[in-house]
Amino acid sequence: MADSDDEYIGSSGDERGKRASNSRKQKGAGDAGKERWEEIQRSWDNVVEGADGSISAAVVGLLEQNKRKRLLKDTTPLQRGIIRHLVLVLDLSIAMEEKDFRPTRFLLQLSHACDFIKEYFEQNPISQLCVIGMCDGLAKRISDMSGNPVEHISAIRKLRANGVEPKGSPSLQNALDMARGCLWNSPTHGTKEVLIVFGALHTCDPGDIHMTIKAMVQDKIEVRIVGLAAQVAVCSELVKKTNSGSLAGYGVAMDEKHFRDLLMANTTPPPTRQANTNASTLLTMGFPSRFSNPGHPTLCACHSNPITSGYMCPRCMARVCALPTSCPACSLTLILSTHLARSYHHLFPLANWVEVARHDVKKRSPKLCFSCERPFPKLAALPPSSTVAATGDLATKRTSNAPVPGVKAVPSISSTGRYACLDCGKWFCVDCDIFCHEEVYNCPGCEADPEGKEKRQREKEALAAKETAQTGQSSAAQGDAMEIDG
Amino acid sequence: MSGSLQSFEQLEALPPATFKKLYQEPCTTLALFRRMLPNLAKSIVMAMLYQDDPVPMSFINAWVKPTSRREKEMALGKLRRLCITSEKNQKLTLDATFKASFREALTGGSRSFGTPCTTEDKHPVTVEYLDNYATAQWEAILHYMVGTESERKPSEGVMRLLVAGGLMEKRSRRAEITQAGFSFLLQDANTQVWTLLLQYLSMAASLRMDHVEILHFFMLLGSLDLGQAYSKAGLTPTQLNMLEDLRDYGIVYQRKSSSDRYYPTRLATTLTSESAALRTVQQGFDAAMSQSGQGFIVVETNYRLYAYTSSPLQISLLAFFARLSQRYPNLVTGKISRQSIRQAIRMGITASQIIDYLTVNAHPQLRKNTPVLPPTVVDQIRLWQIEGERMKATPGSLIRDFSTERDYRETLNYAEELGVLLWRNDQKRWFFVSRHEQIADFIAQRARAQAAKAQGRA
Amino acid sequence: MDRVDATEHFAQHAQGDLPSLLVLIIDINPIPWTTNPLSTALPFNTALSNLLLFLNAHLAFSHTNKVAVIAAAAPRGGGAKILYPAAELPTDTKGRPQSRPPQPAPQPGEPNKYRPFKDLEEGVLAGLGKVLASVNEEDDGTDRTVVSETRIAGALTLALAYINRLAGAGADNLGQTLTKGTGTTEAGTMQSRILVVSVAGDVASEYVPVMNCVFAAQKKHIPIDVCKVAGNSVFLQQAADATGGVYMKLDAPNGFLQYLMMAYLPDPAARQHLVLPTQANVDFRAACFCHKKVVDVGYVCSICLSIFCTVPPDNICMTCQTKLAHTVGGMVVRKKKKKKAGTATGSGAGTPTVGTPRP
Repeated sequence: MADSDDEYIGSSGDERGKRASNSRKQKGAGDAGKERWEEIQRSWDNVVEGADGSISAAVVGLLEQNKRKRLLKDTTPLQRGIIRHLVLVLDLSIAMEEKDFRPTRFLLQLSHACDFIKEYFEQNPISQLCVIGMCDGLAKRISDMSGNPVEHISAIRKLRANGVEPKGSPSLQNALDMARGCLWNSPTHGTKEVLIVFGALHTCDPGDIHMTIKAMVQDKIEVRIVGLAAQVAVCSELVKKTNSGSLAGYGVAMDEKHFRDLLMANTTPPPTRQANTNASTLLTMGFPSRFSNPGHPTLCACHSNPITSGYMCPRCMARVCALPTSCPACSLTLILSTHLARSYHHLFPLANWVEVARHDVKKRSPKLCFSCERPFPKLAALPPSSTVAATGDLATKRTSNAPVPGVKAVPSISSTGRYACLDCGKWFCVDCDIFCHEEVYNCPGCEADPEGKEKRQREKEALAAKETAQTGQSSAAQGDAMEIDG
Repeated sequence: MSGSLQSFEQLEALPPATFKKLYQEPCTTLALFRRMLPNLAKSIVMAMLYQDDPVPMSFINAWVKPTSRREKEMALGKLRRLCITSEKNQKLTLDATFKASFREALTGGSRSFGTPCTTEDKHPVTVEYLDNYATAQWEAILHYMVGTESERKPSEGVMRLLVAGGLMEKRSRRAEITQAGFSFLLQDANTQVWTLLLQYLSMAASLRMDHVEILHFFMLLGSLDLGQAYSKAGLTPTQLNMLEDLRDYGIVYQRKSSSDRYYPTRLATTLTSESAALRTVQQGFDAAMSQSGQGFIVVETNYRLYAYTSSPLQISLLAFFARLSQRYPNLVTGKISRQSIRQAIRMGITASQIIDYLTVNAHPQLRKNTPVLPPTVVDQIRLWQIEGERMKATPGSLIRDFSTERDYRETLNYAEELGVLLWRNDQKRWFFVSRHEQIADFIAQRARAQAAKAQGRA
Repeated sequence: MDRVDATEHFAQHAQGDLPSLLVLIIDINPIPWTTNPLSTALPFNTALSNLLLFLNAHLAFSHTNKVAVIAAAAPRGGGAKILYPAAELPTDTKGRPQSRPPQPAPQPGEPNKYRPFKDLEEGVLAGLGKVLASVNEEDDGTDRTVVSETRIAGALTLALAYINRLAGAGADNLGQTLTKGTGTTEAGTMQSRILVVSVAGDVASEYVPVMNCVFAAQKKHIPIDVCKVAGNSVFLQQAADATGGVYMKLDAPNGFLQYLMMAYLPDPAARQHLVLPTQANVDFRAACFCHKKVVDVGYVCSICLSIFCTVPPDNICMTCQTKLAHTVGGMVVRKKKKKKAGTATGSGAGTPTVGTPRP
C-alpha cells in the first residue's frame, strides 16, 4: 500500500475511518507528512554525555524527571464527586490471553484490579464499587455493589481460583446494560461511573449499542475506558458522548507501567461536570461511637456474627461491626469522621511547587531543604540547563503521545534540584516534594511556620496593591474556589 | 554472623563473682547490655532500672503477651545467667551493682569511658592512616593463615595465639591451617576479631592476667571514638600489657610502645556493635580492607560466580569452595560445582558458612533480590553437603521412668510449651529434650509441691 | 519456598536487631508548663532531663539506633523547628564533610560520658537554647500572642519528612519484620516511630493537616505514640488509635520517667511481645462546623463534606456556598423514572444501598 501515503497528506475529510482521522489529530505538532508509526523514537537519544564525558549527570537528570513526572497534576481546587459509585468492568474475552503484558494480559489485569480496589477505597472511603466481567458474549457479575474492599478482592481471587479462563468475545452492550442496572439505585448526590478495561478490538452485541449509549447519557453515567490493544472507534464514541465531548477518559496502555498508571488515575475523584449540578444535597449521616465489652459478645446486626467490640448506631442503637456501612435497621449511613477526612485532600489539594531557576540561587539562599535538612546539590555539580532541556523535550514528546488523564506534560525539570512553595517561600528537595505531594498533602513550610507564611502573604498583597496603584488594572482575579471543569 | 553469638556465650560461663566485678564499670554494663541481651530482655531491664522495689513475677507475666511465652522465658533465662537479675519470693530484682553502673552510664559521671588526651599530638594521625594500619595488620594475619605470601608476617605472639586456639597447627616446620581455621576465615571481620580476643582471654589465665580487667578493656575500646587519641593514664598494669598485644592485631595504634597515647582503630570501635549494625560501619571498613567497597560477589542461578575483587585473600577464600576459571584485572569468575563443594566440606567448611559468606559479601545489585542468593543455589549447596552425611546428632537428654501417666503428660506439656521437646514415645513414657535444666527445675518443683500437699493432708 | 530440611548445623542465630529511629516531638508551649498544676508536679527542667535520659536509653539499645528531636509551638514561627540533629554543614569543595568544631579537651580525671549520649544532650540543649533565645529577637509586626493550644501539624509533617529521608522513600516499617536476619542496613530498613509529648489542646483549624499526617503515618506503618502530660486533645487520641501507637494520659506526672521507660521505650519489634496500654473508647465523633459541638447524627454537604448539626439556613452550605437540594426528613425526594426492565425501587433513598440491584 505504498501509494496510500500520498492520499493521507493534506486531505482532512477522509473516509478512511474514524481511526485514521483520530490518529492524525493526535499527532499534534508532528510533521505534516509523517504517520505516527514513522516517527521513530530512539531511547538512546535521551542519554547525552556531559562535559566530562560521563553520563552520570544525564542519568541523575532522568531519574529526577521520572520522579516528578507524575507530580504535575492539575491542582486547582475543583469541585469533585466525593461519593462515588463505580462499576469496574473487566475483560474476560479471548483477547486477554495475549502475552504482550507479562505474564498475560488477563493475570496482569486481575492483579492491577486488586490494587485498584485497595487504593480506591483508601482514597474514597465512603464510595461503593461493583465488579462485572465480560466473558463469552455475556456480562457476568463478579461482585455486588458494596463499600467493603475485602469482598471485592476475595471475589476476584475466587475467580482465579475457580479456574475461570478468558473465553469468547466481549460484549460491550451487555456490560453497559448490567452496569446501568447496578447504578440504577444509587442516589443522585453521588457520581455514577463505569470503568472498563478493554483488551479486544471488537464487540459482539445483541442490539444497537447506540441506543445503550443514549440511555447512559440520559442516566448521566460517565464511562471511562482503559484500552490494551488499540483505540477502538465505538469506545471513543462512548467516552466522548458520556463525558460531554471530552476524550480524556479513554487511554490506551503502551506498557505495563502505563497500564497501571491509567488504571490508578481513576482512583482520584473526577471533577464534576456542569450537567450534574443538581447533585448537591444535604445528607444525613450518623457518627457512631465505639463500644467494647470484652468477655460479653453480642451479635452484630449486619452479619449476625458474635462481636465483642463494635459501633452503635446513634439513631436506633443497632450494633454494627465495621464502618463505613449503612445501618441495617434504620438505613442511616454510618461513618467515622476520619473517613470524611480522607477525602479532604482532594478538595483542598496541595499546590504544586515551582522549580527555582538557576539565577535565583544566590549566596544567601537556603542551603538545606527546609523539611528534611538535606543539603542541596551544588549548582556546579548539576548538568547545565541545555542538556536537561533537550532530554525534557524528548520526554515531553513521549508522554504527550500517551496522555494519562489529568496529568500535564512535563515542561522541563529543575536544573537546580530546589523546589519552592509559593505560599510560604521555603525551599525543598525533590524527595520531600514527592513525599509531600503524594503521601502527606501538607506543605511543611506552611504548617511549621505559619507566621512566616502570613508575612509572605502580606508582602505579596502589598506588592499587588502597589502594582494596582501603578497600573490601575486589577491584579489577576482569583478564580472561584469551586471551579467547575467542562 | 552465626559465630559471634556463640563466642559470646562463652562469656556466660563465667562465675557470678566475675560478673559482679564486671558490672562495676559502666562501659562494660553498657556493652554487655547491648551485645548479649535479646530485645525483650532489654525492655525488661529498662523498665526495672528506675524502680527501687523488686517487681513481682506476676507483673512480668501480665506484661508479656501469652503468645510470646517462649521469648519471655528465653529473656528471663538470659538475664538470670548473666547475673543481672535474681529471683526471690516470686519477685524479680535487678542486681544492685548493675543498676548503679547502668544508671551512671546513662547519666554520665564516671571515668570509665576512656580519657581523651588533652595535649596535642606532635605527630597527628588521620583516620585514613588508622584504617590502613588496621587493614595491614589484620590482613597479614589472614594471609598467614591462608598461606599466601605477603611481605608482613604477624608477630610471634599472634602465631602462638593461632596455634593455641586451634586455628592452626604445627606440622613439621610450618604451621598449617585446621578445619576450625577455615570456618574462622569465612566469618565476617567482627566475629574474627572477637574469636581472637576471646582466645586471648582464655590464654590470659595462664599468663596470670586478670579476666575482669581484660574484659573491661575490651568493652572500653568498644566505646571509644575513632580518630581520637586517648591517654594511657588510668589504665591498670594488665591493660598496659595488653596494649602491646593489641597493637599486633591492629586493634590499637601506638607510635612507639613508650608513647603515652594510643589511638583505637576501626576494629576497636566496632567491637561492641551488633553484627547487623556493622554493615553500615563495615562499608567504610571494607573500603579500606579489600578495596572493593561493599559486597562484591554475584551468584547466578546457573551456579556461576563472579567476584569483583583483586585481593589475593578473597580469591584464595573463594578458591576453597568454588572452581575459579578466569581472572581479569578486577574480576574473578568461577563455578560452584559438586566437586568444589565436596572438597570444601572435606576440608571442614560447612554449607551454612559458605552461604553466610556469600550473603555477607553479596554485591549490592544482588542484594536487591529477596532472598539475596538464588534459592536453587542455596538449597543445592546444602543438598551436596547432606549427601555426605545420613545421620544428624542432636545433643540433649532423655527423660524417662515416670511413675504415673499424669506426671508424664504434665512434664511433656511443659516441655512442649518451652519448645525444647524433640522426640517422644508415649507408650514407653520417654521423651527427649534439648535442654534439661528447666525440666529438672519443673520436676523438682512438682515433687516439692506434692510432698507439701501430702504432708498437709497427713 | 521449600527449603531443604534438617541441615542446620549451627544453632539458629538470633535475628540481628533492626535499627530503630525515634522522633520525639516536644510541646514547648509556655502556658501549660508554667502554670499549676504542671509547674509543681513536673517542672520543665525535670521533664527535659527525664526526656534526655529516655533518649539515651533508646540509644543504649543498639549502636544503630537514631534519634531526632522536634519542638512544637516554637515561639518564633509558631509551628515547629527541628532541634536535633542540627542541620548538617554542607560539604566543602572536596566533598568531605567539614570537621566538627574543635571541642575543649576535658581535664584528666574529669568525669566523661559515652560519646553519643554526650552529643545528643549537647545538641538538644543547644537547639533548644537557640529556639528559646529567638524570643528576644526583634519584632517584625506579626501577631505573636501566645495561645494555650499547640499547633502540632507542622511538627508531625517535619517528623514524617525526616523519617522519609532516613528510611528511604517507599520504605515501610512492616517490610523489615518480614525479612530474615540477613537484613541489610542501607536505607530502607529503618524502623521508625514518633513520640509526641503534649501538654495542651488542639487548634481546631488544624484538623485537615493533622489528619493528612495521620493517614500518611498509617500508610507507612509508623506508630504515633502520645504522652499526654496535661491537657486534652482529641486529634492526638485519634492519631494514636489509627496508627497503632500508645496513648497515655499521665495521672501522676512526677512519675514521668518511669512512664517513658516502660510504655514508650520498646520499639515496634519488641512491642509484638508486650501488652501495651490501649484506649478503650476513642471519641471518633465529629464536631460540627457551625457551632463546634460534637454531633452524633449530622448533615453532610455532598460537595465539600462539611458537617452541620442542623439544616443550615436557606439551605446554603456555609463552606462552599452551594444551594443544597431540599431535603425531606433526611431523604431526597426523587421523581419516579421509567425503567428499562425489571422492578422499580421507587424513591431514591438518601443513603446508598448495599443490596443487589437487578439489571
